[in-house]
Amino acid sequence: MNDLTMTPAAGQQGQATGRDVILSAHDVAKTYQMGRVEVKVLKGASIELATGEWLSILGSSGSGKSTLLHLLGGLDQADEGGGGIRYRQQEITGFNSRQLNTYRNLSVGFVFQFYHLLPELTVMENTVLPAMVARGRLKWYRDRAEITERARELLSQFGLDHRLEHRPRELSGGERQRTAIARALVNQPSILLADEPTGNLDASTGGEILDLIKQQHEQGLSIIMVTHDSTIASQADRQVHLVDGIVQ
Amino acid sequence: MYQALLANRYLTSRIIPLIAVAAVALCVALVIIVVSVMTGFLDMLKSSGKTLMGDVIVGYPVRGIPHYERLIDEINGLSTAAVASPLIDSYGLLRMPYPEGDDKEVVTVQVWGIQPESFAGVTGMADSIYWKELSEQEAATARDDDFRRRIKPGMLGDSLTLTDPVTGRRGALMGIHVSIVNDRQQDGSYEPKFDHWWLPGGHEVTLTLVPISSKGSISEPRDRTFPIINEFHTGVYQIDKSRIMIPLEDAQHLLRLEEAIKYDTSGELDENGRPPVIGTSPARATKILVRAADGVTPDELLADVRMAYERFWMKVAAEDGVMEVPPSRELVTMLTWEQQLRDLIGPVEKERELMRILFSIIYLVCAGLVLSIFWAIVYEKTRDIGILRSVGASRLGILWIFLRYGMVIGILGSILGVGLAYLVVSNINEIHDAIGQDAPTWSWVAMYSFGLAAAIGMLVSITRSRVLYAIILGLVAISLGGVAFALQQHVGTVIWDPAVYYFSTLPSQLDFFTVIITMIGAIVFSILGAAVPAAKAADTDPVKALRYE
Repeated sequence: MNDLTMTPAAGQQGQATGRDVILSAHDVAKTYQMGRVEVKVLKGASIELATGEWLSILGSSGSGKSTLLHLLGGLDQADEGGGGIRYRQQEITGFNSRQLNTYRNLSVGFVFQFYHLLPELTVMENTVLPAMVARGRLKWYRDRAEITERARELLSQFGLDHRLEHRPRELSGGERQRTAIARALVNQPSILLADEPTGNLDASTGGEILDLIKQQHEQGLSIIMVTHDSTIASQADRQVHLVDGIVQ
Repeated sequence: MYQALLANRYLTSRIIPLIAVAAVALCVALVIIVVSVMTGFLDMLKSSGKTLMGDVIVGYPVRGIPHYERLIDEINGLSTAAVASPLIDSYGLLRMPYPEGDDKEVVTVQVWGIQPESFAGVTGMADSIYWKELSEQEAATARDDDFRRRIKPGMLGDSLTLTDPVTGRRGALMGIHVSIVNDRQQDGSYEPKFDHWWLPGGHEVTLTLVPISSKGSISEPRDRTFPIINEFHTGVYQIDKSRIMIPLEDAQHLLRLEEAIKYDTSGELDENGRPPVIGTSPARATKILVRAADGVTPDELLADVRMAYERFWMKVAAEDGVMEVPPSRELVTMLTWEQQLRDLIGPVEKERELMRILFSIIYLVCAGLVLSIFWAIVYEKTRDIGILRSVGASRLGILWIFLRYGMVIGILGSILGVGLAYLVVSNINEIHDAIGQDAPTWSWVAMYSFGLAAAIGMLVSITRSRVLYAIILGLVAISLGGVAFALQQHVGTVIWDPAVYYFSTLPSQLDFFTVIITMIGAIVFSILGAAVPAAKAADTDPVKALRYE
């Protein structure tokens, strides 16, 4: 992994210097219609993530960093006529909705600033949710024991083994975010997409979450983290700046 | 799989879906109760028609069918007929034994002259006799002070021969509502309001009938006094209110339809100064009731009875010197019991269908309720939808969560609704009787007390600045106060007037077909109601949903 790890200065214009690029965006644009006004959020952003790399996207509020993350994660569609997004040499812009669902379910894991756990489900149920989504009823019953065990290991590793049957409202912010990370990892994705994962936490708890992400990175997980905090961004292998819809 | 988990959690973790379940349950119960009662009413009408008059009725009113005994022999010879019975059907005046003094009450009655043995074979008369010793099974459930417990063997006349056991006189059977003395109790039993006016206990009535001559003019009325042998309860109010049954011979006599010597009044007198006898005029019956043999339909029997009548008529008409030829087949009405009751059954059937259609609109109400409740739920769950999409859930998967949710609400609501309908329908006579009486004092006192408790709770909530609780408790207090006031003001109202609806009790059976159709309807319309919000959920843009606060 070391030969793929970049120093912050190594990457220019969001490009990974190593060959083994797992996810890339080339000249993507995204325009939102706000009433009668068109707002161009991304104006041809390009970025590359090498396998096993931890990349931070730094940008101020409204710079389009969350939008770029959504496009990379297949949650949103880039403008037509612009560039595309490639995952392992496949153009995800051309994916049909079924392929996109599978991509979101198996290839990437999302972590959000506001945790986004389902309030009606317990910690364990929230964690195994992506695995349930991936399977029909029969397959779920077949694999349930194995998946539950994996989730239990993850949650235990994240210090949540005493919280398995608790609802999100009974957890602290840090515990909620750890649950969200466990959920993002349960299907063993290749890439973790984290959108301000510490943005809603105090410095100490935020530090714990960063340590956890670092651990995953050390185990080989590719990570893109969006943040506006350069201190946090500096934890990554490489940082890029998104200014006014363009990666600099 | 996750759809089942989420639909289940959405259902159990909040109150709104429970309101939807309650709404569906009420709609389902309403439809089932109304249609079940209508269907039960129709069934009662039909089954009572069959048991009261047999399967086929041959009729020639007023003057009756002469030589009817031969017609009965002819019909009894049919393999499709079990038994036939002659009947005289007319109207008359009945002088009741009450009140004290000479100025007795007189009522108009429908008079059936019957031949008790064969009549009991055609109809369910034996079962309808009301005053008799209770069977062991009846004795176990009847009230301790049920009047019938006082009846001892030998106390009453023989209802199947219509004779008074003491005097040997022929007597009458009366519908239970003919006498105003009989009072229907809440459990459906009857009590004489005054024991000494209990009619089978040795009272007599005088029946006056008006004979009609062959020329259609009114002859001198005839009357006869009959001891009351017993009273009958068919359940059909119109019959129980107005019918009296007397022996056939008496009815024939009172209407001048009995066998009689016929004189030639146009010619000269004989040596004794009387007109010469020219023969015997045969006895007549205005109706013949026929019961079908086992496994024979009324229509099959009717076809055979028509042919039997034809044979009977040809035989009698071909005989030399026959005094009176029966009316030809075309003049005689021959109907199955259903055709006979067509005028009564037809409108009720139409009424039921109309009810079915009108109450089907309730399904739309169901769908509307589910739609609006689900709209609110989808609105509230927008962020969940975004989260699910972010972990790879498909649009169809999201759609299915809410459709499934609607289906579960439909299933739960319809099961609860059927349970509620069952409770109401099986206790409908008790409920009806309760509405027919003033509300008991304890009921409105209790309601006022609960209302007061809620009002105090509201005041406490206001002092603690709990606005939501204060408003809810305030609404509860107002509702309970309203109910209490309504109960206090309530005076007994008889909704189901037996004089209008023919029956003295309400049907209390759930109609299975209606239950199934209504359940399916409720489930389908709940799913339809959920479909629009579910589609909205499926179409939600995941990014916007995730930003949704």
